[in-house]
Amino acid sequence: MISMNPIRSRNAVPRGLVRRVFPGAITLVAMIVILIVCGTIQPRIWSQTGITLILSPIVAMVIASQAQMVMMSIGDIDLSIGFFVGMVTTIVATILPDTPTLGFLALGASVLGYTLMGALVQLREVPSLIATLGGSFIWLGLGLFALPVPGGSVPDWLSSYAFWTPPLSIPVSVITMLTATVITWFVMQRTGLGARFRSLGSNPYALIRSGGSVLRTRMLTYAIVGILGVLSGITLSAEIGGGDVNAAPGYTLSSIAAVILGGGVFTGGRAVAWGTLFGAVTLGLLTVLLTLLNLSSNLQPAVQGAIVIAVLAGRLVVERVVK
Amino acid sequence: MMNFRNLTIPAWTWSFLAAFVVLILTFMVAGGGAKTLTLAFTIAPYLVLVGLGQMLVMSTGAGNIDVSVAKVFSLGGLVSIAVGEATGSWVLGLAAAMAAGFALSCVSLASIIFIRIPPIVATLATSLLASAVSLTLAQGFQGSADPVLKGFLGSAPMGVPAFALVVLLFTIFVQLMLGRTTWGAQTLAFGQARRASEYAGVSATKTLTIVYLTSGVLAALSGALRASFSAPNVELGNDYLLDSIAVVVIGGTLITGGRSEPAGIWGGALFFILLDGLLNLIGWDYAGQNILKGFFVLAVLFLASGVPIIHRRSASANPADLTLPEAADSTASGASFDVQASAERSTVT
Repeated sequence: MISMNPIRSRNAVPRGLVRRVFPGAITLVAMIVILIVCGTIQPRIWSQTGITLILSPIVAMVIASQAQMVMMSIGDIDLSIGFFVGMVTTIVATILPDTPTLGFLALGASVLGYTLMGALVQLREVPSLIATLGGSFIWLGLGLFALPVPGGSVPDWLSSYAFWTPPLSIPVSVITMLTATVITWFVMQRTGLGARFRSLGSNPYALIRSGGSVLRTRMLTYAIVGILGVLSGITLSAEIGGGDVNAAPGYTLSSIAAVILGGGVFTGGRAVAWGTLFGAVTLGLLTVLLTLLNLSSNLQPAVQGAIVIAVLAGRLVVERVVK
Repeated sequence: MMNFRNLTIPAWTWSFLAAFVVLILTFMVAGGGAKTLTLAFTIAPYLVLVGLGQMLVMSTGAGNIDVSVAKVFSLGGLVSIAVGEATGSWVLGLAAAMAAGFALSCVSLASIIFIRIPPIVATLATSLLASAVSLTLAQGFQGSADPVLKGFLGSAPMGVPAFALVVLLFTIFVQLMLGRTTWGAQTLAFGQARRASEYAGVSATKTLTIVYLTSGVLAALSGALRASFSAPNVELGNDYLLDSIAVVVIGGTLITGGRSEPAGIWGGALFFILLDGLLNLIGWDYAGQNILKGFFVLAVLFLASGVPIIHRRSASANPADLTLPEAADSTASGASFDVQASAERSTVT
């Protein structure tokens, strides 16, 4: 019935490399423009320290966005990533410094928790949005249990990594961001695992007929999201020098915005690691730009929202013109 | 619908069952008393109002969600108290709050309809806008609620909160609108099969406009009333985003759209509020409360949502996957929908 529909070809999800790369490219342009404007206002950011300073608060956000991107590639949405990252920081700041083994076990257990959530979503056909919502209450509770008030201290190896000055004046934050993105990109685009993830998002029947297990694939996806969430939490606690379960509740929605800016789609089947990197950095740089412009901190969220809409509107206009 | 074979337990039963279990536990711990219920019914209507708006939005199909309710809620509170204080009339205050909610929903709608931004991102942008306005407004904010309104919201003659009755009537109104009017049928049809309903003459713009505007106005109104009940605050609405989504789904509304359960929102809201009360009573701290709340949400989902355990439900009533276009095929091709079949289907080669 649907195939007889004449409008379908016009409304069909655009495929192909150009379609996949184009939205991320627009976001990259926006990111470069913002960076140049920032550099014009404050030339001192063009140095190793300067770049490190403006980028280091964004690193954890980039990794969390990659987690969201993996989740969205199978057509699910994660509403718990913000509190999960917050909970990881509390584990890192309390258990990890004194008893590393126990700490890593706790982090492993939280990844296992994510995997079980994936099994729940698949077995009971529960919407991922709501399952992760329930999960977010649990992460918040566990984080408060581990560390009721913000504090604690991070392990020495972690803080020494955060203060490491790499050779060739490459900022350490750039290295972390790029490593996370390259690994995610490699897994999603160059391995059979990534192909199975994307096929679960675009056409689960193709996955079943090619001999894959929907349950195992979904659980693996959630496991990888959990691992990326743990990495994001470790990075964030290095950045804030302690733990706080409420450090990053905003990551949940910002990471979704970053994936959309990078060209991801809610229907799944598309993995845009690079686009997500650009999306997350653009969102992070906006805060820097608005601070440099001396804008009242009360008004910053409004401008941030307006710019997100403007970028997406710009993409729509360009898309129409290209067509 | 009249076919006897298709009769199933209404989807909202589970949420009331959950609330009832918590109520019994509360009575066992605290020794009972209607006071618990009165208190729950005094606090629940605010969440119900937000939930009703959220439910209408979520009924219009996968991907439709309003994540701006929390910030609009807080803004509604601040605006109503500020305007009420300036003009001396709480009616004008409430009207101003509703106008603010209306205006913010227009921003979301413009982004969704004209720029085709996914609703979750569009309403996120709106919520950023709302929080900026709230923060600006809250600077040096002074003002308190009108005593008449505050008295009404707190009044409970014979243990029955008056405000809860008003919201209950409104819930019945929404239920009738959805079940008995062309608008309701169109909205639900739009949620079940967007393209098919558009061919049948349902206007996407009109449907989306009504639900998002209702959601925004209800969130702002609820915030205004909540602020009059206690005190306005920038953080007032923060819990209402996750809670509103959770109670809507616990109440039996399909996240994939096309089935609304206004009654279930009451069950979900009472469940959450009684649970908070019970955990406070037995001395659990905020951390333990959240862990248990999360486990309860997942447990209710496990029992109530997704694949029916007891009954075979019609194919369209299956929230298989949030966004899969193939989801309808999957339910149509599956022969039986119990847990085991689902597990087998997952591993089928």
